[in-house]
Amino acid sequence: MPKLRAAAVSFLNAHPLTVGLEGSERIELVLAEPSRCAAMLEAGEVDLALVSVAALTKGEYEIVPGIAIGADGPVQTVVLAGEQSPAIWDEVFLDTASRTSHVLAKIVLDEMGVHPTFTPMQADEGLARAKGRKGALVIGDRGFGVRANHIVDLGREWTHLTGLPMIFALWAARPGRVSPEDVQELTRAAQHGLGVRTELAQRFAAQKGGDPERYRRYLTQRIRYGLGPHELDGLEAFLARAAEKGFLPPMKLRFVDDVVRTARTRRVVSLDTALQKGADGERLDADEAELLDEKAPLLELGLAADARRRALHPDGAVTYIVSRNVNYTNVCTTACHFCAFYRPRGHKDAYVLDRDELTRKIDETVALDGIEILLQGGLHPDLGVEWYEELFRWVKEKWPVINLHALSPEEIWHIARTSDLPLDETIQRLIAAGLDSIPGGGAEILDDEVRRRIAPLKCSTDEWLSVMKAAHVKGLRSTATMMFGVGEEARHRVAHLARLRELQDETGGFTAFICWPFQSANTRLTASDTSAQAYLRVNAVSRLVLDNVPNLQASWVTMGGGVAQASLHMGCNDFGSVMIEENVVSAAGTTFSMDSEEVERHIRDAGFRAVRRNMKYERLGDRIA
Amino acid sequence: MISTLAHRALERDGLGPIRDKVLSGERLSDADALRLLEATDLAAVGALANHVREARHGDLTFYNRNVHLNPTNVCVATCKFCSFARKDDQVASEGYTMSLDDAVAKVLARRGLGITEVHIVSGLHPELPWDYYPELLRRIRAAWPELAIKAFTAIEIHFFAEKFGKSYEQVLRELHAAGMDTMPGGGAEIFAKRVRRKICDDKATAEQWLEIHRTAHRLGLKTNATMLYGHIERLDERVDHMRLLRELQDETGGFQVFIPLAFHPEHNMIGKAFPKPTGYDALRTLAVARLYLDNFDHVKAYWVSLGERLAQTSLAFGVDDVDGTVLEERIYHMAGSTVPQALSERTLHDLIRAAGRVPAERDSLYRVLKVHLPAGGAEMPVPPDPSHAPVQPQPAGPPLAAAARRV
Repeated sequence: MPKLRAAAVSFLNAHPLTVGLEGSERIELVLAEPSRCAAMLEAGEVDLALVSVAALTKGEYEIVPGIAIGADGPVQTVVLAGEQSPAIWDEVFLDTASRTSHVLAKIVLDEMGVHPTFTPMQADEGLARAKGRKGALVIGDRGFGVRANHIVDLGREWTHLTGLPMIFALWAARPGRVSPEDVQELTRAAQHGLGVRTELAQRFAAQKGGDPERYRRYLTQRIRYGLGPHELDGLEAFLARAAEKGFLPPMKLRFVDDVVRTARTRRVVSLDTALQKGADGERLDADEAELLDEKAPLLELGLAADARRRALHPDGAVTYIVSRNVNYTNVCTTACHFCAFYRPRGHKDAYVLDRDELTRKIDETVALDGIEILLQGGLHPDLGVEWYEELFRWVKEKWPVINLHALSPEEIWHIARTSDLPLDETIQRLIAAGLDSIPGGGAEILDDEVRRRIAPLKCSTDEWLSVMKAAHVKGLRSTATMMFGVGEEARHRVAHLARLRELQDETGGFTAFICWPFQSANTRLTASDTSAQAYLRVNAVSRLVLDNVPNLQASWVTMGGGVAQASLHMGCNDFGSVMIEENVVSAAGTTFSMDSEEVERHIRDAGFRAVRRNMKYERLGDRIA
Repeated sequence: MISTLAHRALERDGLGPIRDKVLSGERLSDADALRLLEATDLAAVGALANHVREARHGDLTFYNRNVHLNPTNVCVATCKFCSFARKDDQVASEGYTMSLDDAVAKVLARRGLGITEVHIVSGLHPELPWDYYPELLRRIRAAWPELAIKAFTAIEIHFFAEKFGKSYEQVLRELHAAGMDTMPGGGAEIFAKRVRRKICDDKATAEQWLEIHRTAHRLGLKTNATMLYGHIERLDERVDHMRLLRELQDETGGFQVFIPLAFHPEHNMIGKAFPKPTGYDALRTLAVARLYLDNFDHVKAYWVSLGERLAQTSLAFGVDDVDGTVLEERIYHMAGSTVPQALSERTLHDLIRAAGRVPAERDSLYRVLKVHLPAGGAEMPVPPDPSHAPVQPQPAGPPLAAAARRV
């Protein structure tokens, strides 16, 4: 098969997207100046190119989903510079490197009420002449070294103007050239590149001079590489404003279709046999599990899962915990398509909870006999391990009774990256600061075929599991989750469960499993079947496949109390936590709420005995009578 | 067919004898019903109810397209569970009474949406004249002849009879002549005297409610039956309630459907003392109703009351009817229901199909208008019967049910 030809710029900010393509068997990479990249794409000399957004208007291109180069605040490498304030400029010299930045400069100046003439000019010369009433636009790595009295960072200005991220560049392809497998290859390369940003910064400093730490911060904290809902909003807003002001022709965005369809042939198995094996606690293989997932009637699955639940928890007790879900920040760089919660850094609703707010929340929790804080948040580019260590120590000192069930694998991975620490050391430091257990969030569907489509920049299946493994080895216990209904198939859900089961065989560190359907309101991803019956089915299949995970938690927060009660008769033995708050799910439209009285009423009414537990699923005040 | 797993679970819980009765078509006793309500093996009881449901209807799941009309919320009754009625000093500020013109206009505004039925339930208004009621029906019939009219609960019929000095039969004959096609099943609440005295002391008694439906059935009107559960009643009082319905149905065959209604606690007088019944209660009540009421064709989960998720779940627990698209429901919403006030037909289809069932649009008399086979499959249109004369229901017979049954 001939390789796909791709062109990309050699700017530092593109390195994380391109370094992983070196030696690729699918894609051959050519490095060139930005304008040359666009020209090669237009001429058909390459099949795709990492081009400036403005180049999209040159042809009917398809955008590779999920990946882009952007910023949600200061970007450092797209700046206006001059001796005097831009307010008095009558001429601006435009660095010839990128058209998108020209348009951005024009939009920003126009919004400031400044309307100079624009003259294309080589960057160095433009900068040298930016005196008096003249300014210069400086783009790319030259921006790092600019010294001037007045510097306007156009990334910061854009986010200030719109509250949205600015997208500078993305992979654009000639129509029909790029296959779903190619998209996976580009995504794989991006994931690889994002994981080696420190090395890329060092390499760049060695070649070009300058401070490697500064470059590392630039790559990890300034530039964002996701193309999720907010980034798309930013991109669309940019194109709309540019068209409205006549700087670019109007255009419509089109994307490469990235749905891969591959299924292996399945062995013929009998439904009854599979159900019976599951009910008896025998290990199900993938063929049996997929058959159950797709074909078994709801109540048959329910009865089999109920038989398993009875075998594992014969005393008719259903546990729950008094805990509070605290989302410490909604700033996130991952840009997942299914998330209604995250905000870019400059967004008007972006927040990081301060100590006063945390104090209020934890005090309320303790007052309600709470013993746990479930602390999760977005992947904030500015928060390093020290921030978490301080936070944990502060909580533990102030409220010794509180257990910290905190930081999903994705967050731990992110903290290790932004702090430039090995994973093990990161976990060790967090444990030393007070981390008690970790929630299994961010698993979504643990199958990279699905992950790359819905959350391309989230950690991969292997990475997610490697964090869990490292945590388990250090003695931490964790839960595991699955969010289904994102367009995946039975084989993906079963693969997810099989990976969890495999790790559980090795470490025994998972305390419980929780699944819930994707909630699509306020997100850009279209849901597949996320109905109550789908939930009950997936839940029951999970009970049967996860033969080595002791507890299954009912998700009343997403499904409501009634369906959760039904799930207690179809595999679940835990009712989760009381609700003091839950920001992530409610951002996508679900609004159920229960206090401990109401939780206990639901458990009792469904025919069980309600027992409180801690985060290790040890029962409190009822050591099994 | 009951699976091995279900057999095993039923045996384990001592429900083997009840299962044998169900499988052989033998009628369940009151004690059986109580035993089932008290059983805590929801999946096993559900499997039994599902067996009966699939034997009757295959995968067909019925709905209709209807519009609700509540002409007034002014009411002299003092039901403690009601959040809708306004009385005395509330009338001036929050009460409303539609003029005939307004009421008819409200219904007509829904023309063109494929609606086949108007559901009319009202407060017991102290001042409206008798003529208001038949005239309302006549005008709707004249303006929209194809629209079936389901109107007035037994409580309203009883109120009209008392207030205007007519017999039940007179009231029903006049309303029937004016256009009433069927009667809703509301106002049954719980028949037990102990309960009625506490929650709706001045309402028609159980005997009166049953007598009105008996009379309606005799006149050829089909009616529905309800049960308001989850407040102060005991489980044996639910069984007693269902027994009285089953007996009357043996006598007349005039009930079309049984609809258990979950009590909603907000904004009424007993809500503070009694929380809303849980979803578990809804599922077991529906399942047991399907098993006990062997002479009722249909068991309905009213999604406005249960919510979409629980209504969908109930399709595996004996339920074959999810009500309809329901435009402008007010009564449950005044009691704190937060579900949407209307569901699009598309949403309803998705909900039914995701449960592995087949949506079947029905008319007011449970005649199938159209079976919506899975996407790609042809639709099966059934010509609607334009006649408004009372007709014996033609339940979805074996051919349709068989066509839609899971293979």
